[in-house]
Amino acid sequence: MVKPSRSHRVFQGVNGVILTLVVVVTLYPFVNIIARSFSNERQIRAGQVTLWPKGFNLTTYRIVFHDSAFWRSYGNTVFYTVVSTAVAMVLTTCYAYVLSKKHLKGRNFLVGVAVFTMFFTGGLIPNYVLVTSLGMKNSVWALAVPNAISVFNLLVMKAFFESLPSELEEAAQIDGLSTYGILLRVVLPLSKAVVATMVLFYSVSFWNSWFGAFLYMDRTELMPVTVYLRNIIAGATGGTNAGAATDQLSQVAANIQAVTIVLTSLPILCVYPFVQRYFVSGVMLGAVKG
Amino acid sequence: MKRERQQNAGQLSRRQILAAVGFIGLASLTGCGSGDGGGDSKDLSKKQNGAMKEFRVGQQFKASKPLSFSMLHNDNPGYPYKASWLFWKEVTKRTGITIKPVDVPLVDYEKKRSVLIGSGDAPFLIPKTYHPSEVAFVSSGAILPVSDYAHLMPNFQAKVKKWKLEPEIDSIRQSDGKYYLLPGLHERPKSGYSLSFRTDVLAKLGLSLPTTWDEVYDVFKAIRQEYPDRYPFSDRWSTNTAFTVGALQSYLGQAYGVHAGWTYDNISFDSKAQKFVFTGARDEYRAVIEYLRKLVAEKLMDPESFTQTDDQAIQKLLAEKSFAISANPQELVQTYRYNLSKQVKGATIEMIPVPIGPAGPVVLDGIRLENGVMVSSKALKSDDFVAMMQFVDWLWYSDEGQRFSKWGVEGVTYTYSGGTYTLEKGISLMGSDPSAKKDLQKDYGFFNGVFTYGGSWELVSSNFSPDEKKFQDAMSQRKQLPIAPAHPLQSAEQEQASLWTIPLQDHVAQNTLQFILGKRPLSQWGAYVSELKAKNMQQLVDLHNKAYERYKKEHG
Repeated sequence: MVKPSRSHRVFQGVNGVILTLVVVVTLYPFVNIIARSFSNERQIRAGQVTLWPKGFNLTTYRIVFHDSAFWRSYGNTVFYTVVSTAVAMVLTTCYAYVLSKKHLKGRNFLVGVAVFTMFFTGGLIPNYVLVTSLGMKNSVWALAVPNAISVFNLLVMKAFFESLPSELEEAAQIDGLSTYGILLRVVLPLSKAVVATMVLFYSVSFWNSWFGAFLYMDRTELMPVTVYLRNIIAGATGGTNAGAATDQLSQVAANIQAVTIVLTSLPILCVYPFVQRYFVSGVMLGAVKG
Repeated sequence: MKRERQQNAGQLSRRQILAAVGFIGLASLTGCGSGDGGGDSKDLSKKQNGAMKEFRVGQQFKASKPLSFSMLHNDNPGYPYKASWLFWKEVTKRTGITIKPVDVPLVDYEKKRSVLIGSGDAPFLIPKTYHPSEVAFVSSGAILPVSDYAHLMPNFQAKVKKWKLEPEIDSIRQSDGKYYLLPGLHERPKSGYSLSFRTDVLAKLGLSLPTTWDEVYDVFKAIRQEYPDRYPFSDRWSTNTAFTVGALQSYLGQAYGVHAGWTYDNISFDSKAQKFVFTGARDEYRAVIEYLRKLVAEKLMDPESFTQTDDQAIQKLLAEKSFAISANPQELVQTYRYNLSKQVKGATIEMIPVPIGPAGPVVLDGIRLENGVMVSSKALKSDDFVAMMQFVDWLWYSDEGQRFSKWGVEGVTYTYSGGTYTLEKGISLMGSDPSAKKDLQKDYGFFNGVFTYGGSWELVSSNFSPDEKKFQDAMSQRKQLPIAPAHPLQSAEQEQASLWTIPLQDHVAQNTLQFILGKRPLSQWGAYVSELKAKNMQQLVDLHNKAYERYKKEHG
């Protein structure tokens, strides 16, 4: 291997500095939010909280933990995310696998159908009318079915499947496996990377989404935690959450946003490191065809 | 290999057929979505199911058979919806009507309302609608011209007449002469915002609370002399609004008889000239700017007032870097006074009635109408239509209904004697009793913004804190500025106007700020007005004057 030249080292150094700055800039808001969530109201209002909690305080956490509505919404979010991700994975995998077969007649048409939806949608009201007349309102299907196939994810998966050597499948076929057998026993075990990536993509987007639930759910007890969060932010800062002039309430008003943001993003943040290695290789594999 | 290909081809064609069928299905579905017009006729004889034969003012509405109506419910995070609220049960007990709420989170209420109305899936009753947001739905025919059915609502009619609200009602009429919103009605105008001062500091300097804007200036001047390193006044309500210091500009504008700040509207009526003019180019508007310019130029007002967050402004007050701030009665007590008492020894703070300016003791026009109820056109097709309108009239407009939705059930949630309402022991309202276990809003569902607003002054003022009472009593003595006459635009005009409105308003907002901060000298006022003209100011004014003349001719 050639010894790195001086200009290369300089480039590496500059690169490192810039990327570190980018990391700092992107991390700072997170750290700040976490610090605020543990801080005392007075220090928050005085703008003293930056990287580390000032005047350690857990009042808001205690109040949010005791709010049954929060846990109910949280449960809903977990349920919606799991069901929607499962539905999305099954449908996207099947669609992508079919599309990856070059000998499939009308393949371009099927790709076109998918890609078409990237550029054109029915619009808000037709979607609403459709979901309502299919009787999916107030159920998890209203969230899972319309978002089951993300075209971007579909194309990444298709590219990944295309990159798998077709000889493997032929061998499996000779050994007597059916189409579904090939998919389940040969292709999918080889595709852990892309499957993990897709699960991550889907679950993060379902976890963070609120608009679908807001639109299709008519009862408070069906709302996910993101809607709860939106509401609480508006309520606590808009002065509508009128309450007593007590210590607790002004403390809550000062950092309830930070607390709920931490609590809602925590599970997803925990999952990330474990899926990350698949994530990187998954996207790479999907992108670069062998 | 070949066999497989054939197999696949077979599957494919099946799928293609499926897909094609799916598309046709979709197309027919969306095709069916187009509405089929509003209600048929004004013949209500067949829609009397459950209605009272004769329903008069002072009478308890009671449906002759149990009915239920769907209603959009604005879910306030301050008191999240509960099916167990006494409110729902008691409504059913008293009226025989069950309200079926469709629950919508408060933050995006308008958005969901639009979708529901647009998709034809709206509940019968759509409350919490602020004029003019109902205008967007008029041309689609999705909401009912309620003015055609006002005769079913004796309480509503009586209150409009008794409180002389006809000019206000006229102001919300559309170009067909009808109105589409049942607004909340106030007997007297209720004011919200004014200045608050550190009274202990004023006392120390031998100053009394100002009553006019000239006195406000003198007081600031005196404070500045005593504390030359600080700004006497640092204000808030500059975020999330087109016009910075929105509250201040609004109540200062009121003293000059012009809509500014939060209440700014491009078009306003010049009652001397009897025609509509452009607000941002009026002399009165310029006078408001000049007054604020004077405060900023002489360092009496913190220039950061126009950019800082509310928290920053409050922090300056608490740190004694400023001594005056805009307030409403709730913020005065819960934020300023409460925190000052903890952080600054001997600090007292009071809110003053809005200082009087060149326009005399006036309050802004149009504030006696509140948000209100829209009725879906689908409701007219229902046999229960008459009963529903009677029910709406009783719950939202009768004295009894208003008292009920505000205070609840006498003997259970409150007692009434000698003109005052007292909550039962153990029930709190907005923190009135910190030790109470129950809350009138959260646990009983009364005092809910969806049902409780407006009404007689006696009822509206019945929950005022001592501070608010003093403030409102002073303000309610003032004369209301004349209401602009009706000048509804037709829908093509409406579209045209909305194209002009936003750029004009943005230009006014930007330049207002630049003039106040001295970034643009007031000598350039003429240039500013010509810039407005280049942005179609005159066309917009003409459009409204044309609509005004037309409406006058057609509807007298």
